[in-house]
Amino acid sequence: MSDRRRPDGREQVTNSWRVGILALLFTGALSILFFRLWFVQLAAGPEWLVEADQNIVSSESIAAPRGDIVDRNGMVLATSVPGLIIEIDRSLLPIEVEDDVLQRLAAILELSPVEVRQAVERTGSGEVAALPEFEIDADTAYLIMEQRATLPGVTVRALPVRGYTQGSLMGHVLGHMGLPSPGDLERLPIVDTNTPIGKLGVEREYEEFLRGAPGKHVYRINPEGTILEEIGTVDPTPGATVRLTLDVEAQAEVERILVEAIELSNALKETQEEEDPAETPQPTERATAVVMEVNTGAILAMASYPTFEPQAFVGGIDVDSFEELSERQAFNNLAIQGVKPPASTFKSITYVTAMEENIFPDGVSTPEETIECSSQLAHDFGDDSQHLWRNWTYPESDGPQNLHDALRRSCNIYFWEVALSIWRAYARTDREGIVQEWARAVGIGRPTQVDLPFEHEGILGDRQLFEEWRERQPWRVRAEGWLGGDLMNIVVGQGPIVATPLQMAVAYASMLNGGTVYQPRVADAIETADGERLRTLEPRVLRSVDISPDTVASLRTDLTSVVRSGTARRAFEDLGGLVEVVGGKTGTAQSFTDQEGVFHDSTAWFVGVAPIDAPRWVVAVMVDEGGSGGAVAAPAARAIFQYLLGAGVTPLVAGEDTER
Amino acid sequence: MAVLGPSLDGVGGIFEDRPRPTPDVIVFVLMAALMALGSVMVYSSTFVRLDEETGDPTSAMRRQMIFAGVALVTYVASSMIDYRLYRRFPFLIYGIMMIALIGVLFAPPQKGATRWIPVGAFQFQPSEFAKVALIVALASLLTRGARRRLSWRSLGTALLMAAAPSFLIFLQPDLGTMLVVGFITVGMLFVAGSSIRQMLVLGASGVVGVIAVFQLDILKSYQIARLAGFFDQASDLQGVNWNLYQSQIAIGSGQLVGRGLFQGTQTRLSFIPSQTTDFIFTAVGEQFGFIGGSAVILAYAILIWRVLIVAAGAPNAFGSMIAVGMAALLAFHIFVNIGMTVGLVPVTGLPLPFMSAGGSAMIAMAGGLGIVNSVWRSRSPVSDRPEARDL
Repeated sequence: MSDRRRPDGREQVTNSWRVGILALLFTGALSILFFRLWFVQLAAGPEWLVEADQNIVSSESIAAPRGDIVDRNGMVLATSVPGLIIEIDRSLLPIEVEDDVLQRLAAILELSPVEVRQAVERTGSGEVAALPEFEIDADTAYLIMEQRATLPGVTVRALPVRGYTQGSLMGHVLGHMGLPSPGDLERLPIVDTNTPIGKLGVEREYEEFLRGAPGKHVYRINPEGTILEEIGTVDPTPGATVRLTLDVEAQAEVERILVEAIELSNALKETQEEEDPAETPQPTERATAVVMEVNTGAILAMASYPTFEPQAFVGGIDVDSFEELSERQAFNNLAIQGVKPPASTFKSITYVTAMEENIFPDGVSTPEETIECSSQLAHDFGDDSQHLWRNWTYPESDGPQNLHDALRRSCNIYFWEVALSIWRAYARTDREGIVQEWARAVGIGRPTQVDLPFEHEGILGDRQLFEEWRERQPWRVRAEGWLGGDLMNIVVGQGPIVATPLQMAVAYASMLNGGTVYQPRVADAIETADGERLRTLEPRVLRSVDISPDTVASLRTDLTSVVRSGTARRAFEDLGGLVEVVGGKTGTAQSFTDQEGVFHDSTAWFVGVAPIDAPRWVVAVMVDEGGSGGAVAAPAARAIFQYLLGAGVTPLVAGEDTER
Repeated sequence: MAVLGPSLDGVGGIFEDRPRPTPDVIVFVLMAALMALGSVMVYSSTFVRLDEETGDPTSAMRRQMIFAGVALVTYVASSMIDYRLYRRFPFLIYGIMMIALIGVLFAPPQKGATRWIPVGAFQFQPSEFAKVALIVALASLLTRGARRRLSWRSLGTALLMAAAPSFLIFLQPDLGTMLVVGFITVGMLFVAGSSIRQMLVLGASGVVGVIAVFQLDILKSYQIARLAGFFDQASDLQGVNWNLYQSQIAIGSGQLVGRGLFQGTQTRLSFIPSQTTDFIFTAVGEQFGFIGGSAVILAYAILIWRVLIVAAGAPNAFGSMIAVGMAALLAFHIFVNIGMTVGLVPVTGLPLPFMSAGGSAMIAMAGGLGIVNSVWRSRSPVSDRPEARDL
């Protein structure tokens, strides 16, 4: 302490020691700052540095153009075209002006505000809503950008958009696009809910190849999200091209023939006079045809009617169109989803079983021996009941027939007798289901593993299936369980059996190529956008079935006689001399009246191959509730064979009304 | 401050032998250097944004340089004015201060507070000048008598004198400035000779005051949130602790030598709110690292040392008390401001002397230091020992 008296005489008091204490205090405070600074910058600095670098980088995704889908000759079916899309970042759109902004936007788009509101509401508040359904051109985009100040959160982004070149052609195979559903988000490793993905067909099945990888712009931003500068760009990787096994020309022809077949069916229905007015058939609306290579499984054409245009889904399909198409089941690819009793087309499988297992009607031991194809069959199955089976195809006796005749004439009696022989010999043993075993071996009642989504595997009834049903769905089976009558139904393709046309095509292909079951497929190769081949999808053998060459040769001969002189004779007349190289089998699934009293007409089938000596193509045609196989399906198959064999395709003419 | 030496008794002697008849060039140079650095830092934190928004990247820096020029002129001018003049009109000074503080409450609110009176293109912030005015007024009050000890009456009067502007500042609200006023008052009362009992009473009433503030819900919710955030610095990084977090990222990433001038991403890209004002130190820390940051702290230490020398060696108690008040003012601002940017002190809006963007604080503090220099100059108008003019 130093108190001082100044010369000017005024008393002064200066507490120097107290100033010293203050100095010490300040020194301490500044030292603390110094050490804290040392700690933050040198001890913990490296961690903060990492944070600093992460802090300021933001990226914006650049959508990758989706890969093309081309036919086997490289014709482009689906491609990516540059498009503009409106996006609304709802986090930047204050709730109190949302209505105004959407109204202004609707005015620019010349839409009703309700439509815009609905589209925006798909996305939760605070998220980015993409509005791909509003197609905009460059002028509209410019207008929106110009008015950006009054449209907070609204931006226009360049985005590749899907374009389909062929209208509805091949629509079911190509599939369509759509915004991912919650299920899709679980199924696929995607995070962007605003980017459409394949929902059906090849678009869905080959999504991972078609999608490509998005690129990104990397920006420096400030905390408000304002972009300050671009740091770098990662270019998007365009999706790969999927080359199909299908041929646009063949597909167009098959689709055209299918429409003609439906017209033929409806024309026949009009001329037909029904005894029972309750059995007046509904107009024919659905049909399908598939052409597959017998020795590779490559599908050349796959048509299903009614059709839809994949393009309608680009930018979102409107509700009315969607409901209308749904109502008509237009999204069903009947070739892989339309399951029906295969009816007499199944007899080829029973035929092979009889030949290979040496099982013939009672008293018959070779395929050459005949029995009477009578008008009815009575049998008691070893119990006291009497069952009478009417041969509805031939109300009068069709004369003595052996196995070859029975296939050509589609005689139910013969095949029922085969079933009875099996029942007598093997009922309730493990050989009881040999027909089903053969059917399953050639692909009935199991997935064909075609490279398309939502394939139906059909149903192939046997004792085991009936037991399972009794456990889980008891209303589907009678109390007695599996009976001999069920087997009699199965051998002629009726009763507890349904199959898709593709399954029938696979079955015929494998029986006629000597026993090789191929995986049917619509895609041939994956290529880069520049045409470089990334992956060739080689034919894939699912399994081999041991069929003797004699049986194969015999089946080929008898299938030829079906079109030459059997149930498909008239339908194949227009083939002229080429009829020698074609073989196939008709089928007519029985009409029935359902529980609601609605009458369902017969379903017409034809499955055949050509050339018969060295089969190359298998053709399966199914006209749903279209009438007789010989009358409706066989002429359509004939026209397809005309095309495949290079003959001029002649108009469809009704064939014989068989098996009705 | 080791110059003060271990023996406090000798301190006065050293001061006595060093008359300073001319303006303190060290103080002037340090101030000018800090202002220049501050201007560059303002530029480094604004040029990207300004270039984008207005195409004029230097506007904030130019503004800051104008303030710096005015502040330096103010310093020189107020060192020329005899500080004893103020002693004659303490009530006038105090009265003008009170009027300005009342007046500001009628100004249009900005950022949720009424701290600024618009004057043309500039914003006049009365509370910054009020601090200096209060220092002068308190110095006058506390040195009226000739006693070494502080009377209870003087203590009470001083507290009342400080409480009135504090209350007005509280109404703005400006909690930081209120705390400065409190700290300055306590510091001056201490040096003015308050007894241990008086200090204890002050301390106790301080504790009671803090408890009262919390009990009476006087604090705004954001103030409580800031305080809570300070005690849990890892929480709510996007919200209440955003400033603290971002500022530590900026300073921490500077490391030893910094990321280089204009290379600091944090400051350049406006990550930190109040980057150019309360958080200007982050720009130094990020761009010049520990070396730059500690150099700035050292500069402030020297500045405070120069003021404390005047406090200890002033020709009279009035001058000494002014210097004490100014030292306390500087020290508090510096400690709280820098401490806040490195997570040592809760976020409080106090500018860093001579560096933070803004004119009022800079001009007021330069003026205050000018008064301190005037005290030092008056000590020995003409040196009879030329060899001591070593400056």
